[in-house]
Amino acid sequence: MAETIAHTVPGEAHASHAHHPELSFFRKYIWSEDHKTIALQYLFTSLFFLLVGGSLAMGVRFQLAFPGAPVPLIGTLLPSWLVTSAGAFQPGGYNGLVTMHATVMVFLVIMPLLIGVFGNFLIPLKIGAPDMAFPFFNALSYWLFFVSGIVLLSSFFVPAGFPAGGWTSYAPLSSHAEYNGTQAGQSLWCVGLFINGLASIAGAANYITTVINMRAPGMTMFRLPLPVWALFITAILLLLAVPVLSAAAAMLFCDLNFGTSFFSASNYGQPLLWQHLFWFFGHPEVYIMILPAMGLVSEILSVNSRKPIFGYKAMVWAMVSIGVLGFIVWGHHMFVSGMNILLSATFSFSTMVIAVPSAIKTFNWMGTVWGGSIRYTTPMCFALAFVSMFVIGGLSGIYMAAVPVDLFIHHTYFIVAHIHYVLFGGSLFGVFGAIYFWFPKMFGRMMNETWGKIHFVLAFIFFNCTFLPMHNLGLNGMMRRIADPMLYDHLRSQQPINVFVSVSAFCLGLSTIPFLINFFYSIFNGPKASKNPWRSTTLEWTVPSPPGHGNFETTPTVYHGPYEYSVPGMEEDFLPQNQPAPETVKLAAH
Amino acid sequence: MSQFVSNKKSFIAALVAVFLTLGASAYGAARTSGLWWMPDAASKSGVEIDQLTYFIYYLTGGVFILTQVVYIYFLVRYRARRGVRATYSHGDNRLELVWTAIPTAIFIGLWGYSNHLWWDVIHTESPPDTMEIAVTAYQFGFTFQYPGPTGKLGRSDVKLISTDNIFGNDRTDPATKEDFQSGVLELPVNKAVRIRLNSKDVIHGFYIPQFRIYQDAVPGRTIDWVWFIPTKTGGYQLACSQLCGSGHYNMKADIAVVSQAEFDKWYQEKVAAATNAAAGTPPAQSK
Repeated sequence: MAETIAHTVPGEAHASHAHHPELSFFRKYIWSEDHKTIALQYLFTSLFFLLVGGSLAMGVRFQLAFPGAPVPLIGTLLPSWLVTSAGAFQPGGYNGLVTMHATVMVFLVIMPLLIGVFGNFLIPLKIGAPDMAFPFFNALSYWLFFVSGIVLLSSFFVPAGFPAGGWTSYAPLSSHAEYNGTQAGQSLWCVGLFINGLASIAGAANYITTVINMRAPGMTMFRLPLPVWALFITAILLLLAVPVLSAAAAMLFCDLNFGTSFFSASNYGQPLLWQHLFWFFGHPEVYIMILPAMGLVSEILSVNSRKPIFGYKAMVWAMVSIGVLGFIVWGHHMFVSGMNILLSATFSFSTMVIAVPSAIKTFNWMGTVWGGSIRYTTPMCFALAFVSMFVIGGLSGIYMAAVPVDLFIHHTYFIVAHIHYVLFGGSLFGVFGAIYFWFPKMFGRMMNETWGKIHFVLAFIFFNCTFLPMHNLGLNGMMRRIADPMLYDHLRSQQPINVFVSVSAFCLGLSTIPFLINFFYSIFNGPKASKNPWRSTTLEWTVPSPPGHGNFETTPTVYHGPYEYSVPGMEEDFLPQNQPAPETVKLAAH
Repeated sequence: MSQFVSNKKSFIAALVAVFLTLGASAYGAARTSGLWWMPDAASKSGVEIDQLTYFIYYLTGGVFILTQVVYIYFLVRYRARRGVRATYSHGDNRLELVWTAIPTAIFIGLWGYSNHLWWDVIHTESPPDTMEIAVTAYQFGFTFQYPGPTGKLGRSDVKLISTDNIFGNDRTDPATKEDFQSGVLELPVNKAVRIRLNSKDVIHGFYIPQFRIYQDAVPGRTIDWVWFIPTKTGGYQLACSQLCGSGHYNMKADIAVVSQAEFDKWYQEKVAAATNAAAGTPPAQSK
């Protein structure tokens, strides 16, 4: 287990960047154009937003378990749009909590954690480049993201508070102040997402250019590590999908404030146009939030199984086809929306087809651990759990792809369970694994393994206790986004399940504490990390931890694919990409 | 170290046990108080939809158990052991082909089954004696409009929908004058009902879990393809399941599925009341 890993090589870190001129505090920590610093800025900011989004979820679960009960401790301190004078949540305020929980988690947590943090940190290091193609753009992207977060959260302080139309903000509820009652909050939502979109577009253009133009000699496309492939495809999806959301948000803003009628039922407007625009962005968005995690997990599985990834090219082509097909499945969010029902058949078909590459990836992950020599490190535990949770999230997706079944479970807790298995058990578990895995390279120190395991076990148990019963609640007919299930005959008898789910959710929230303590403690006090503590093959592990400004002393040359583990005839069980295979050894084609 | 490991294991075991017990008792409580699984289907197509749901349930359940058993076996069998090296393999194209072809076949077959059923549920002509009922959703409630004695619902147009005319009734159509409105969705059992669905303001959801039916009501368009046959008498609730504003959490209406005789009695009372109201006499008491 962890004991087998070489932790410490004294005096090695911080050795290689003496020849760069010292930067001012402002250029080093605030407006830094170094991709590694920008990645850390993204990391700290989005971990803060994770706490915000998580707290909102705790509010949601409190209300569902104990509708009408005053919020303990902070109830009377909350603003009047959110709680009654007794400190219990108002139904309208509850809608605001639901809306902002999802908005924060999607746009300020999952996307920046996967793309902002690991895209920035890993792409240049893994392809052997000194930095991104456009460092200025990169810094701009982070600060736009930061501003978008402030704008979105500032809606807490405006009259009527949070936007309350759901993260999907269906028009005309979202586009008419007389219907939603939260004009200021909803307007800030539009502005925030527009700015967030600019940040994504700037980042995506940068990643694509960097991957295409700045690969080290010998780093062909089919020698790219899988996280880079995943982030490259994700960046293309971002560039094609996000402008659609930005345009839709701008139109919504005009409807809301200037009396235009893009999405009105009258004046030749069309409410369904919003849904088509939103989901044309929204479905690729789902893959934007899972593909990078798939890439990161693939690498963690391979390293910790000491085995080449099973079916490298199949993995790449599966991601490419998910990217392409992702643009023609958006209608499966709209089977019951009132769009032409003949369209349902085609969207149902494309949705069934897109399940195939996901299945291929799952089988390839299982193929990777097969015959391996598995080290149960903390990042490996999260990566292994990712696969199982993704299987559950993928299988539950099949229910919605079948149109008649979707008639029954659409907009129920079954969907809530499904998206959380994909985005929490999937994306966020992938992020946790990746943080534990690349922490030594980011900060030059190791995180504590025991506390990592404690975090993993608690998160795994409470995650499943929280979200597994939600499938049941959904099949029993519990609608999403209702503030009080006790008002419905068919839901009253299920309240004990809601209470159980909420208690588990509170524990899940608390399970983040060991992680945060471990994270911040280890930044300053963890044991020093060597260059390559996991005995890994990719280029970031050939430079000191953390790497100096400019990353590589000399541009590395790449001789073979990324995952040459346990090559027969070699003493070491890994062969770094910048080392040619010994003449006595023959590498298998992949 | 071993002391710590065993403590950790017993801690985890205790934690799992506590939460399993809690979970089981929550389910137990839900079960004794009534519903703990899908509510019984109470419409003709609902029963067929359940067959598909269960088919997918056993299919995905089987796939889940199969993959997880193999996966966990791998995780135990191939844990790191001193002196044992991992197998050097970049994959196997034949295996890739197998696990691409099999899911593709399953998914396309499933699409065929589900699309066929979808056709049955929605696209098929409803029986000739289908009763049409107009439903209008608004912030925050539902109102229903029934056809008068001629049995034919009057013309309506979404462009005419206003605060005074939430159904958008076309008052130039004589059939409209006979129509009457109700706050309860009263339905005769075993008779086909077609819904003419409108919304006055924002998007609402028309959701009846026992009928396995969900359809959005969209302002600016009339949706008239939803029809169903209730098969069990009893009281149900129609719930809005599309977030529609601050009162969404409590937007619902009662549904009563009754025998044809009871329905006829209710219908006659309603028609009489509507005729009296039109004639200017005070309406008789009715449900």
